[in-house]
Amino acid sequence: MNSSLPGAPLVAMENVTVRFRGAQTVHAVNGVTLTLEPGKVLGILGESGSGKSVTLKTLLRLLPESRTDIGGSVMVDGRDVLALGPQKLADYRGRVTSMIFQDPMLALDPVYTVGEQIAEAITRHEKIGRREAMQRALELLQLVRIPSPVRRLKAYPHEMSGGMRQRAMIALALAARPKLLLADEPTTALDATVQIQILLLLRQLQRDLGMGVIFVTHDIGVAVEVSDRLAVMYAGQIVETGTVRELISNPQHPYTKGLLAANLHGARKGERLEAIPGAPPALNEAPSSCSFAPRCRQAVEACQNSLPPAVTLGEGRIVRCVQTEAALQPA
Amino acid sequence: MSLALYVEDGSDRGGAGTPLLEARALTKHFPLGRGAVVRAVDGVDFQVLKGETLGVVGESGCGKSTTARVVMQLIPQDAGQMLFDGEAVGSAALSLKDYRRQAQMVFQDSYASLNPRLTIEDSIAFGPTVHGVAKTGAIARARDLLARVGLDPERFAARYPHELSGGQRQRVNIARALALGPRLVILDEAVSALDKSVEAQVLNLLMDLREEFGLTYIFISHDLNVVRFISDRVMVMYLGEVVEIGPVDELYEDPRHPYTRALLSAMPSMDPDNRTMEAPLAGDPPNPINPPEGCRFHPRCPQAQTVCAKAKPALTPTGTGARLAACHMEIPGSGHSRAPALEDAA
Repeated sequence: MNSSLPGAPLVAMENVTVRFRGAQTVHAVNGVTLTLEPGKVLGILGESGSGKSVTLKTLLRLLPESRTDIGGSVMVDGRDVLALGPQKLADYRGRVTSMIFQDPMLALDPVYTVGEQIAEAITRHEKIGRREAMQRALELLQLVRIPSPVRRLKAYPHEMSGGMRQRAMIALALAARPKLLLADEPTTALDATVQIQILLLLRQLQRDLGMGVIFVTHDIGVAVEVSDRLAVMYAGQIVETGTVRELISNPQHPYTKGLLAANLHGARKGERLEAIPGAPPALNEAPSSCSFAPRCRQAVEACQNSLPPAVTLGEGRIVRCVQTEAALQPA
Repeated sequence: MSLALYVEDGSDRGGAGTPLLEARALTKHFPLGRGAVVRAVDGVDFQVLKGETLGVVGESGCGKSTTARVVMQLIPQDAGQMLFDGEAVGSAALSLKDYRRQAQMVFQDSYASLNPRLTIEDSIAFGPTVHGVAKTGAIARARDLLARVGLDPERFAARYPHELSGGQRQRVNIARALALGPRLVILDEAVSALDKSVEAQVLNLLMDLREEFGLTYIFISHDLNVVRFISDRVMVMYLGEVVEIGPVDELYEDPRHPYTRALLSAMPSMDPDNRTMEAPLAGDPPNPINPPEGCRFHPRCPQAQTVCAKAKPALTPTGTGARLAACHMEIPGSGHSRAPALEDAA
């Protein structure tokens, strides 16, 4: 095994850029640098088009290769993900890094039973017989606490409820005991009472199995519920990182502040919300200045002239804003 | 030209004390064949007072959207009655056409709600022309309304729906709903598909319009934070029935129905030091086909007792008295061990 050195991060993305070619070029990710320690949970928070899902898919090389340009470096568990050949990539997917999605109906195959799908994922990575694989599949369904697991092993996805399908998809993702689980809005389509069940399950599985998790969501409440650290994305860049506590109690970037206000964090009834005006930018050009400046109430001339600096406020606490930099410098 | 002129039917016929809308035993069942029936809305009673916002919450399948569609008369009820400002909807005093001019709806899917072949000013003007307004006048109104919802008519009036963002399209849908000068606007997950930063803009707009036009809202949403923020009173539905209804702060701070309590405690805490440790309910929302006997929540209720499986609890005054809850624990002498004694009620 080419596992990483002790103490090395599980995930290290360095200045990653993702560009989609086509009738219009889209600069979806513009210089993302992030690390994840083994056994930790990073929440990536952002709105539609912020590049959070693209960042996640880059880690699993799920983007269409023929029209995607990826720059920078992506290391997971000591592997250079962008350099993996077809066979190595197939071994990597599921075994080292696995992913769960918003819509389990699309992630599960409708013509196979849940048990068959999980068993297939196990035998793809381990030399064991079908009977043993089915036994393992049963254990996985028990692990994700699906009621009557023996019966559900033989069920097709459409025979399950939404929350149960989500659990089955988690079981499938865990089939080859990955070190890194990528979660792309896995609870967004669920009712609140089911969402909290799935979040608690993911939290427990992550702890029990010691997995690293990157959890992408647009919902701050959900991110706070599951994450150790947060990264806020806007227009393909991470604008602020820190622990959950730091970001919620002391947000620095104007976009993070606006997002918290828009989530009615401390909003008072009947008062107007501090809404962020305007809409996110089109991404047909790589940013050369602060992407948030056109919507920012605190924007100054410097914001239009160059990319904002990544200001380090503490370990893993980074804010991309000229105001943060100015505040640090003695007058 | 003042926008207030559009509110032709704003005359308060019944007086301030009469609810703007009163639903009495509203029922809508969908037969599935072979005797199976989805009891989507099953004997729902509620009032919407003039000028208030009534929030409606509940899990998927609880009947909140079907209730909205029946209130809007997009689908007819199987039983029950609706009074609008004291007059029965569909009666000689208030024809369906007159009612529909005064009640309008905004849906979740901003794109599916607009005709892709009409420019947005034509979409907004369409309703008024159907109701007899001359085309030029209707277009002028449409442009005024576009400006009012924050879309510059010079830039946007001639555009087609696909040329707008989701937030902009939802503003168009709101403008269209206002084109006939309605008194009641039903917002069915109207901000749910929007990004949070855009959602906040639209919520601000809705609050401004409510003030300016003296509107009454029925605000349906799965987002309990948003409902708390915008509503005056909240109605909680479960499997086609109302389980609790009352003033928003009272209901959020001291929920009396165990289902309301569970729903509220399923909200993410927003506090990393005080995370949710236990899910309030197990399993998925049940199927509204063949709902349980007695209290429909009893199979999932931690406090259920024998009486709960046998008798259906009626909505009963609780809290300060402005609130109703359908739970045997609130009904004096119901037979539940936690129910108040009969003499307390007297």
